[in-house]
Amino acid sequence: MITLVLGGSKCGKSRVAEELLNRFNGKKFYVATMQPYGSEAHAAIERHRKMRSGKYFETIEKYTDIDELDLPYDCAVLLECMGNLCANEMFCDGDCSCPVNKIVSGIEMLSESVSELVIVSNDVGSDGISYDEGTMKYIAAMGEINCRISSISDNVIECIYGIPVVLKGELT
Amino acid sequence: MKMITGGAFQGKGKCAKKLFGIHESDMIDGAVCIYDEAFSAVCIKNYHELLRRLLTENVSLTEFTKQLCIENSSVVIIMNEIGSGIVPLEKSERILREETGRAGCIIAEHSDVVVRVLCGIPMIIKGDLNDN
Repeated sequence: MITLVLGGSKCGKSRVAEELLNRFNGKKFYVATMQPYGSEAHAAIERHRKMRSGKYFETIEKYTDIDELDLPYDCAVLLECMGNLCANEMFCDGDCSCPVNKIVSGIEMLSESVSELVIVSNDVGSDGISYDEGTMKYIAAMGEINCRISSISDNVIECIYGIPVVLKGELT
Repeated sequence: MKMITGGAFQGKGKCAKKLFGIHESDMIDGAVCIYDEAFSAVCIKNYHELLRRLLTENVSLTEFTKQLCIENSSVVIIMNEIGSGIVPLEKSERILREETGRAGCIIAEHSDVVVRVLCGIPMIIKGDLNDN
């Protein structure tokens, strides 16, 4: 089962995504894609760690190449977040100018090897601003990744100020 | 008249094809088309880009859009939602954003069906697809 949770910045995506796995009884992994650079990243990581504490997630840091993840069958995975993964592939370690196919096939592989996959992604194309070419490429890549993942997802949930709105499937 | 809107790169064009049977060859691109083509087009994508270009020619975007609604009342308009976020510092950008918003409202008002797309998923926010 794949569930895509997306929305704008600080809309409560993480909490909604974590709660989706509250009733999952097996092993739960949290795949963190944010690189711990700078004080804001450290603060965000700390905030998310606190939120996850007591929810029995094992954290794996994976900034690029999610196809390399080797996780036990029947586990649940919360991957957070696509915005960082895509940026890492394009601009940091990955240096991949068009990461869409790589990321989508990585997600497909991951979804086939685990029982539950929840993906947190970001809506970055809705502010109506035309940015420089590199940024527009990133926005286009994120748009395509979200479209393709939504098409293979069982459930798609948009988050608006913490309220989950079901666009596809159902909220279990 | 029909309208498809949403953020950038959300699959609006694909939805036009799927929901309204538009072919790629039926679509003109507002970013590059000749202005008058709008009045006979089956489908205009990037209508917000057409408006951006028209504004540089000092054309009233609302008047142009009203005329389009009268002369090409069966057209499918695809345009980005651009009004969220911060009011731009640049005056011309502010005017464009406001005029584009007003033009979008005119199109939505004249449309039987309005669809908002997010990550490839269409949500019908006005009308009924089955009424066509």
